[in-house]
Amino acid sequence: MPISTIRRTCLAAVLAGAAMLSGTADGADEGLKVMQLPIRTDGPKSLDPVEGSTTYDNMACAQFYETLLTNKYASPMEMEPLLLTEMPTTEDGGTTWHFTLKDNVFFHDNACFPGGKGRKITADDVFYSLKRLADDEYKLENWWLLDHTIAGFNSFKRVQNWRRSMPGRADWLSGLDADAFKSTMFEREFEPRKAKAIEEAEKAWKSAKAQASGKELEGMTEAARREKIEQAASEALEAFHAALTDEDLETLASEFAGKGAAYFKSARFDYGADVEGFQKTSDTEFTITLTKPVYRFLYILGMFQTSVVAHEAVEHYGKDFARNPVGTGPFILDTWVPKQSLTANRNPNYHPVFYPAREEWSREDMRARLHRAAGKQVPFVDRVEFTMFVEDQPMWLEFNKGNLGYTQVPEDYFTEAFDRSSKELKEDFLRRDIRPHSNKLLDFTFRGFNMEDELLGGYTSEKRALRRAISYAIDLDEINETFYSGRRIVYDGPIPPGLEGYPENGRSPAAARGRNIAKAREMLVEAGYPNGEGLPPIRFVTSQNAINNAVSEMVKRQLAEVNIKFEPVFLDFSTLIETINKKKAPMFGFAWSSDYPDGENNLALFYGPNEAPGSNHYNYKRAEYDALYEQILTMGPSEERTAIYARMRDMVLDDCAYVGGMARERFYLMNPWLLNCKPTERYYGWFKYLDVDDSKRE
Amino acid sequence: MWNYIVRRTLYNIPVFLAIVLVLMIALRVNDPVSAQLGKNAGPEQIALLKHDMGMDKPLIVQYGMFLKKLVTLDFSERSWDQGFPVSEMIANAVPPSMAVTVPTLLITATIAICVGLVSAFNRGRFTDRMLMFLAVIGMSISVLVYIIIGQYFGAFKMGELVDGWPFQVTVNSDAGESPWFFFGPSNWLRYCMLPVMINVVVALGYDTRFYRAVMVEESQKDYIRTARAKGASVKRVMFVHMLKNAMIPIITRIMISLPFVITGSILVEVYFGIPGMGRTLINAIVAKDFPVIQTFTALFAALFIASNILTDVLYALVDPRVRLS
Repeated sequence: MPISTIRRTCLAAVLAGAAMLSGTADGADEGLKVMQLPIRTDGPKSLDPVEGSTTYDNMACAQFYETLLTNKYASPMEMEPLLLTEMPTTEDGGTTWHFTLKDNVFFHDNACFPGGKGRKITADDVFYSLKRLADDEYKLENWWLLDHTIAGFNSFKRVQNWRRSMPGRADWLSGLDADAFKSTMFEREFEPRKAKAIEEAEKAWKSAKAQASGKELEGMTEAARREKIEQAASEALEAFHAALTDEDLETLASEFAGKGAAYFKSARFDYGADVEGFQKTSDTEFTITLTKPVYRFLYILGMFQTSVVAHEAVEHYGKDFARNPVGTGPFILDTWVPKQSLTANRNPNYHPVFYPAREEWSREDMRARLHRAAGKQVPFVDRVEFTMFVEDQPMWLEFNKGNLGYTQVPEDYFTEAFDRSSKELKEDFLRRDIRPHSNKLLDFTFRGFNMEDELLGGYTSEKRALRRAISYAIDLDEINETFYSGRRIVYDGPIPPGLEGYPENGRSPAAARGRNIAKAREMLVEAGYPNGEGLPPIRFVTSQNAINNAVSEMVKRQLAEVNIKFEPVFLDFSTLIETINKKKAPMFGFAWSSDYPDGENNLALFYGPNEAPGSNHYNYKRAEYDALYEQILTMGPSEERTAIYARMRDMVLDDCAYVGGMARERFYLMNPWLLNCKPTERYYGWFKYLDVDDSKRE
Repeated sequence: MWNYIVRRTLYNIPVFLAIVLVLMIALRVNDPVSAQLGKNAGPEQIALLKHDMGMDKPLIVQYGMFLKKLVTLDFSERSWDQGFPVSEMIANAVPPSMAVTVPTLLITATIAICVGLVSAFNRGRFTDRMLMFLAVIGMSISVLVYIIIGQYFGAFKMGELVDGWPFQVTVNSDAGESPWFFFGPSNWLRYCMLPVMINVVVALGYDTRFYRAVMVEESQKDYIRTARAKGASVKRVMFVHMLKNAMIPIITRIMISLPFVITGSILVEVYFGIPGMGRTLINAIVAKDFPVIQTFTALFAALFIASNILTDVLYALVDPRVRLS
């Protein structure tokens, strides 16, 4: 342990002792409204939006930071402006979007600002925050959100990240002119990559040759070897040009010509550099131009990773910015003990945001008195205290003691609170005025087929019949009843419940929904494997955990009834991903949770160009499907779009690219002292709408 | 003695180097970077993190780099999951763990030695049988059962039944940021005493049986008979003669437990929300937090080696027959 840490630790001990002796106690002052809430699992790993990816990062960041758009509290599938005065507008069908920021939004008061006073947000803050996604210092964790989306942004990302790496090259760059700079850059950067690619190709060749025999070995001539190596070199060149295009090199060279090698010694990622797609009109008005019209861009602007941050805070706190959030959100961080607790106080300068109007609430919501605070300015509470719970029992007991406002109902405690069949809340809980709520999650759990697999892949009627035979033989309802007490929703198609494109009652005629043994046998005959004869075992790859092991055993039994041999292989998650990405898994178990509430997100899983290692793990390729996908990208919600969603859904179901799907339904309980609560997992900016009534605490 | 300590330390250096090497190889069997970054990670992102971590270098270079950090006590590397320096994570996690493990060790050892003595002295009688029966029952029940039941009844149910019941289900935001919070008497009572009691009950069965066996063996030795024949009281025989001569196995047992004082008790910490080392390590494993796992494991190995050396030294201090050479 470094001495400085020991010193700090000792100092902390002395301070803690002093605090104890003086009788100081933590906790809220009298009269303040304090709300205690749980975070299931161990909570956020970072409070910096660009580094965040998990639900818990989202839950924490959303209290301190805000996005341009957000979900509506009363109807979370819809979006509304948050930092904007109105929804962005477009005149060219979705390529160019105009934004107007609210004029009264200030960052939290913080030491990073002159005088400690938070300043007003501007269009530059929005650009700066989006540019951080492109900065490889943040590991590009969320770059995929904007990749190939904004005009000139990919080029900006490449050039700026090259700039950042230039100080290490400054020595060998000195004395060069602009032309020599380009050729030297190419030589110094490309040649080692080419050599590595050739070395790997050689290695792969040798290993393949060692394993080959007979005819295979005959084909492995010296000419074939040379061809493989040339191919590797050419792929390396292509990859290099993608990482540093001629245009990028030109940009760097012109900067080099103007400023010289010495300048590059201190080159950094330049947040001031222009991006073609970002145009500022005034401090509150700006335009973002996309590479092509993409409707989902608006959803991305509601995702917490695109929250607006202050450059002063990032510069002031450096690496510790992830622990010192400075945003515009309704709460200001007080303490964060990782994996333990997080507390925040009300932001006294929070811009005017009002509780949803009465007419926004559904009749059911109004029965639950959710409209009672309609039109009032939020937030209502002075302090929010989150406690993290890795295990369910302490969370459940704390809720039952009345110490937590709400809780998710853990699987193991479901029947303690609800009747198993009717899903009605039990008398004991009703007597205590505890209120239930449930949400269908945007989940898509499936068992996918690799459409390029020799046995299971392909688009011929025989191959399709084989996949459908497997699908007909698997009984998802039995799995649901046995392992999830019937609380999963079994549905057809990749679009989860609650979104456009979800089939009526969850059933589509195109699906090969099991269990239907007769149909399964019929399909096996059509596939050329009557009664399963001659069919090799089906290798199924999934991640290692207790439930997957048990479910796989059940699937094995179900398939055995039609003489299909099922061989489950359990891998750790990273190996599973690697296997699927390399297209080596004939059949695989996986789950997808929608990034935004639009069926397009799930339909993208079957878009040809997204093939592995992209999100199309099935390697499903159908020209008609791809054309439809490109069409829906530019379409806003409409009946026409919904019809296309349904067509694409049925196309995938008809080809039977997977067996599934299933979605979770999440159940919540709320203590009577927590008001205005309608939990959702679509977004986490809704804690500001919550209120507490301390007179109802036990 | 110092010669001995230096020599033993030198002998153990190759052991430690081998442990670190095995650890590093084991952690790299599956690519930790891909595992940490998850399904959305592209090759560029993976390459970046590998470069940052020095994991694009040959294993032997990485081994050298890691050893240098260990030798210079440089734990400034940041956790992948939390972004905090590993040194800070250790400094914050050790005190809460010790607030539970140190009292557990002291109470368990004291009670178990006394019970072992009583049991050995009443060997074969009802008292002995009853104590050993309870010890076996104690050992036979899973620690998880003790924790779940202990938390449910000891904190939740009793809290409902008795006004002002001190034990809490879990540590909440009152704990604040200071790792020394649990050392305040009222805080220790609220958050640590129940976990300590559970830990003691769990450990008592094993320890009692062990100490009884040690004491039974001692009680059959000639010097005990001689002492009794010379008229020494039972109390004197037990606590002066027998206990002193049984110190070697007692020390061994306690010293084996010593590293766990630092490493904490995973399940108790997880259930009761105590932010100790056990919980920190298990969180790191779940989050595939490579820098934390690597550093913690290497430190634990060093700790075990150090406690082994210390055990040998203590043998010589408590038993004049043992000579360190």
